[in-house]
Amino acid sequence: MNPDQKSLPSSSFLVERSRFLVALVFFGLVIILSGCAQTQALKAKSAMTERINPAVVLLIEPDVQLSVVTASGLQEPNAEWTEIGRRNVAQALEALLKEKNASLIAYRAPQNDLDRAHRHNQIMKMHGAVGVSILNHKYNEMLALPTKVDRFDWTLGPDTQMLRDEFGADYALFVFMRDSYASAGRVAVIAVAALLGVGMQGGMQLGFASLVDLQTGEVVWFNRLISGAGDLRTPEPARQAIDSLLTDAPL
Amino acid sequence: MLLRATFVLSTILGLSGCATPQTLPDTANIQPGERPDITTDEAGLWMASEDVERRLAASGRVLTDPEINAYVKEIICRLSPEYCADVRVYIVRTPHFNASMYPSGFMQVWTGLILRAENEAQLAYVLGHELGHYFRRHSIQQWRTVRDTASAMTFFSIATAMAGVGYVGDIGALVAMGALMSYSREFEREADDVGFEMMSKAGYSPDEAPKIWQALLQERDASGDPNQLIFFATHPSTEERIDTLKGLATAVPASARGVDVGAERHAKITHPYLSEWLRDDLRNRKLAGSEIMLKRLIENRGERPELQYFLGELYRIRGDEGDAQHAVEAYTTALGQKGAPAEAYRSLGLVHWREGHTAEARAAFEAYLRAAPKASDYAMVKSYLDQL
Repeated sequence: MNPDQKSLPSSSFLVERSRFLVALVFFGLVIILSGCAQTQALKAKSAMTERINPAVVLLIEPDVQLSVVTASGLQEPNAEWTEIGRRNVAQALEALLKEKNASLIAYRAPQNDLDRAHRHNQIMKMHGAVGVSILNHKYNEMLALPTKVDRFDWTLGPDTQMLRDEFGADYALFVFMRDSYASAGRVAVIAVAALLGVGMQGGMQLGFASLVDLQTGEVVWFNRLISGAGDLRTPEPARQAIDSLLTDAPL
Repeated sequence: MLLRATFVLSTILGLSGCATPQTLPDTANIQPGERPDITTDEAGLWMASEDVERRLAASGRVLTDPEINAYVKEIICRLSPEYCADVRVYIVRTPHFNASMYPSGFMQVWTGLILRAENEAQLAYVLGHELGHYFRRHSIQQWRTVRDTASAMTFFSIATAMAGVGYVGDIGALVAMGALMSYSREFEREADDVGFEMMSKAGYSPDEAPKIWQALLQERDASGDPNQLIFFATHPSTEERIDTLKGLATAVPASARGVDVGAERHAKITHPYLSEWLRDDLRNRKLAGSEIMLKRLIENRGERPELQYFLGELYRIRGDEGDAQHAVEAYTTALGQKGAPAEAYRSLGLVHWREGHTAEARAAFEAYLRAAPKASDYAMVKSYLDQL
């Protein structure tokens, strides 16, 4: 590690950092979580007035990662759980959208067309940047922006029309989920620390979802989930998590 | 975060180490075609690494031209035929000297490194070094060390009833930044040895290995700032590496001594990119280092017009005492050759203008407008003529 890191111009590292920031935002919000899932949805004005039904929804591949919390609190990704979790999240999303009478198209990155793949990727990165801004400035009162206090008007810009045209979809749905579970060592640390009167966090479930109008690029709806319980490794709790995250999505 | 864990780590090693050299854990090499079992921590690291690879591939900064990609890949396959199929290379347009290996078998090679390698043998040595990180499984060893040390620290702090908030961290940070920078020095030394052995066995001249560090050292010394090159942060001292590699090179018996240097091939493959990479390099504004690098390029490749043009640009941008004169000389040399960029006229005009040489400035701008009638800044340069 080097203090000169800021001189790194590589965009891939900026992406890394913004992803990292997402984790930071979450951790910044968390004190010690109770068992219940907490969500707090935000809607753009247009979401109330111009609802499309039945809507065609382009599902961007959900960004899901399941980890072990080591004794010291580090997150170690677990490939096996993540594979199962991704499957469960995909199934839960499919079932939920079906109930909402929305038809689902799975996003596929362009093959053998690097230019188009790059342009798609720019939209995904823009969504990452906007999503982090929403989490930072709408969910944390300390960081509230004076011009955004009573409104929810965030947009990725009209470039999203590219996805609308290519996939014939009205909306894009982005889902981000992180789920972690305390290792045996972490459980021991928490137990001993509790005896000493210190509260420590074990595993937790964190997520956000956003619905983007592909005609305008506007983020019409956004929700965040924080839970001290939940388990994406099993289908039923995974379904519950996705339901609480997406239940009032305007579809 | 990782920084904190790494700091803890180095403190602990520092305390226990004293005069005893640190030894690396006895870890088996990764086998060709091997994938870690999905239930292991290593599989988690691979998963995170593959996420990084997907984003890198779509970042728009990766060179897609087949010729240069084939060049780098061929060197890798020549160094290590058995791992050839497992390793994926991404040449990334970034004007710094670095390359990095990721646990799942993909490698980033930055254009700033390819620009600074004088020949194929020097590049081969660096690629061999990176391959060493891969098949010695340095990433997972590093992660386990950080994790286990942090856990030990937590238990320790609990035991002494000083339980704090714990170390919050993310393996993604290790993959993204750690893979680049924080391999420990011991891992670097091991990778140096592996890289040297590979390039030497593949028939490259072993004397080239230390030379790439020597060149880098010159750039660092010229800059007067030891931290200027990010590469030095977590690597063994360059002087030490040069000595070690020179020793290794001397020890190679004459019968096994490769002679392949590949300077011409390297020059030919990189030639189409020179202007772009040099422009990127000057944008860094690390001009003292760039000057050393450019002069070395001129020494190796002759007075090509684009090299002279960028040398002129360097002097023009720096603007120290005497630089205006140096810049004029460099542009003039460039323009005296076939294939000089039209921009050399424009820059020559700007230097003369700044120096108050109105007639020379006018002549240079007019020459630019004649040479580049379709340039996007045609009207702008034309307006200079009115202002002169």
